[in-house]
Amino acid sequence: MLRIEHYSKTYPGGKKAVDGLTLHVRPGEIYGFIGHNGAGKTTTLRACAGVMDFTEGTIIIDGHDVKKDPVGAKRVTAFLPDNPDLYEFMKGIDYLNFIADLYDIPADQRTRDIGRFGDAFELTGNLGSPIGSYSHGMRQKLALISAFIRRPRLLILDEPFVGLDPSASHIMKGYLAELCQNGSAVFFSTHVLEVAEKLCHQIAIIKDGRLVKCGPTEQLVGDSSLEDVFLELEGDK
Amino acid sequence: MKKFFALLKVSVKSMLLSSTNARGSSRKKAATGVGAMLLIAFLGLYLSGLYSSLLMQVLSPIHMEVLVFIFMGMGALVGGLLFTTFAIKGVVFGGKDNDLLLSMPVSSTMLMASRVTAIYLENLLFSFFVLAPAGAVCAFMTQSGVGHSLLFWVRLIIAVFALPLLDTALSVLFGALVAFLSAKVSKGALGQNIVMALYLVAVMWFCFNLNGMIEGLAANAAGVKESLSWAAPMLWMADGVMGDWGKLLAFAACCIVPFALVVYGLGRVYRQAVTAFQARAARNDYKLSAQAASGQKKALLAKEARRFFGTPMYFWNSGIGLMMLVALGVAALVMRDDLRIYLGLLEGLPLMPMAALVMGFCLSMCVIAAPSISLEGKYLWILREAPVGESALLWIKTGFQLLLSVPCTVIAGVCLAAALELSPLEGGLLLALTGLFDLAHAAFGMLVGLAFPKLDAVNETVVVKQSLAVCLGMFVPMAVLGLCALLYWLGGMASAALALALPAALLAVWAAVCATLLAKRGPAMLRAL
Repeated sequence: MLRIEHYSKTYPGGKKAVDGLTLHVRPGEIYGFIGHNGAGKTTTLRACAGVMDFTEGTIIIDGHDVKKDPVGAKRVTAFLPDNPDLYEFMKGIDYLNFIADLYDIPADQRTRDIGRFGDAFELTGNLGSPIGSYSHGMRQKLALISAFIRRPRLLILDEPFVGLDPSASHIMKGYLAELCQNGSAVFFSTHVLEVAEKLCHQIAIIKDGRLVKCGPTEQLVGDSSLEDVFLELEGDK
Repeated sequence: MKKFFALLKVSVKSMLLSSTNARGSSRKKAATGVGAMLLIAFLGLYLSGLYSSLLMQVLSPIHMEVLVFIFMGMGALVGGLLFTTFAIKGVVFGGKDNDLLLSMPVSSTMLMASRVTAIYLENLLFSFFVLAPAGAVCAFMTQSGVGHSLLFWVRLIIAVFALPLLDTALSVLFGALVAFLSAKVSKGALGQNIVMALYLVAVMWFCFNLNGMIEGLAANAAGVKESLSWAAPMLWMADGVMGDWGKLLAFAACCIVPFALVVYGLGRVYRQAVTAFQARAARNDYKLSAQAASGQKKALLAKEARRFFGTPMYFWNSGIGLMMLVALGVAALVMRDDLRIYLGLLEGLPLMPMAALVMGFCLSMCVIAAPSISLEGKYLWILREAPVGESALLWIKTGFQLLLSVPCTVIAGVCLAAALELSPLEGGLLLALTGLFDLAHAAFGMLVGLAFPKLDAVNETVVVKQSLAVCLGMFVPMAVLGLCALLYWLGGMASAALALALPAALLAVWAAVCATLLAKRGPAMLRAL
């Protein structure tokens, strides 16, 4: 579903944020991406989502090269940044319709999905209000609904649990699993190692822009815990 | 005081950087900031110098120089109000750093005072650029010799420093009203639009009256001064500058007291005001019904329209040119008989080129595309992750400006052609030339928006009123119009056909270059943001 091959990103000034990253996410997988602050997680996720330009390496999503066919790649992807800023001059329902229009989602499908996800995240009643009046958590939920109604082949999430209450986190995890059961894939970054350990089929650990370890969660963790593995690789233990 | 100056420094720096390119190097930022300041300084000095000297020519022989300072003082006051009132909501009450600063161990009065002082410094700049040329004109043109004394300059400096205090106090009060309305009225944008409309009507009324006063100046200067008794502080300022220390002190008190009252009064309730102006609770009574689908382009255009019509700052600053354009056309048609009599007195005037020039001037103020990239700011990720090509995004933004400007151009063009009794050929040429200008202006605006983005602006006010892209998007097209007029004059020396062909060719080349650059370089520029 997602093939990252020899991807590197160098910022102006010469700082290499990511160096020669190769990583594959298969359909049906929830893939966790962990690393310390500034390790290159967000840079990688943004490049995959086509939000940020890059020069070295290739990223292919469901057969679409992000560089050569960005629109095709974006059509099958949904991306949520760590702090999604949404148009405050729109009402919640207007934003969802705006996204649905950009992804050519038919009217009956969007009505059904908005109702389903809106009810699940307990946001339907608020959809008539301007986004400017939403709390941080409500914005996060709206952004998640806007991602789920696209029925993406690949869902990319940057720190999705930040700002969500336990109930919404639980609901989100259920929908992530459902998405993967339907053949899609989820690629997300997180600092919540317990969640990553329980939720992910595969985990990659990145340090200073380089992939230091990746593989199935059980193999990677072994008899230890993800926290121990992570701290050991980071050299903090 | 150390804390106050630290807070003031942050506010001033934020305001100064507002016109610079967010991504540029510090040298580039400084250069663009200085460039924007120079542009404002040039405009202030030029307009004030021009009008002061015109007034002084009329008033100096009858020893009524004092009226120059009354009018320039009013100009500085109204200009400052226009410039800062609608910035108050963002700068004083709606800063992104409110939570951070309000959590710090500084009194809310001090925080409020630091922000209001930053606005005062902005008004001070305006006051200086308007009153200083008036003083210089007085020094050179007055017959009484009052402008030659050192004390005259001391009094003028006192006036320059005092006037912005009054300006700032009024701006903060009006700004607080705007912020209150946008928070409390369910249709906040509508409330702001109504306040803005009333405000502009008041300014227009003032300007029209001012015009009448200036016309009658030579005949009845003393009477005009008498009729201005409602603007007593301005009279005191002018009399003070001309030598009456008592009135100067009364004027200074008139400025200091309201400023102090506003800062102290609002400062005491600043925390409550900021909270109240921000508090907008989401309703919980929405019932989902069947939704309708539309295409990508329609959705993107609707989004641009929602932002434009739902953001009063954007709507009034960028749409005023179009309103003026339509008003001009309709007024010309309604008052065509008076217009023809007036134009009959000025026989031999090239009506069609003049109409095109006036329409172009109004269109120059329609800067919708230039700030649209900066207005995306923190929301840019939404468009970037959307399955829409960069080229399509740019043309939709450019097209939105054209969608508004072209119909207004046609309405105004047809009205003017009818009012001026232009031949069908001349009418067609008028529409073709202004249409070409529309296209070039929109594409140019988009290009400068991409070249000088301000993606980290603290609020939309900064982008719409002060960004470099907006300044360039407005003044470069005006300069192009000037060049067109020059080419018309030069071409007219050879033949009438060449006189029209040269500006038309310039506009065509400008439109072609901008459109080509936007098509070829625009997507890469957007990707690089």
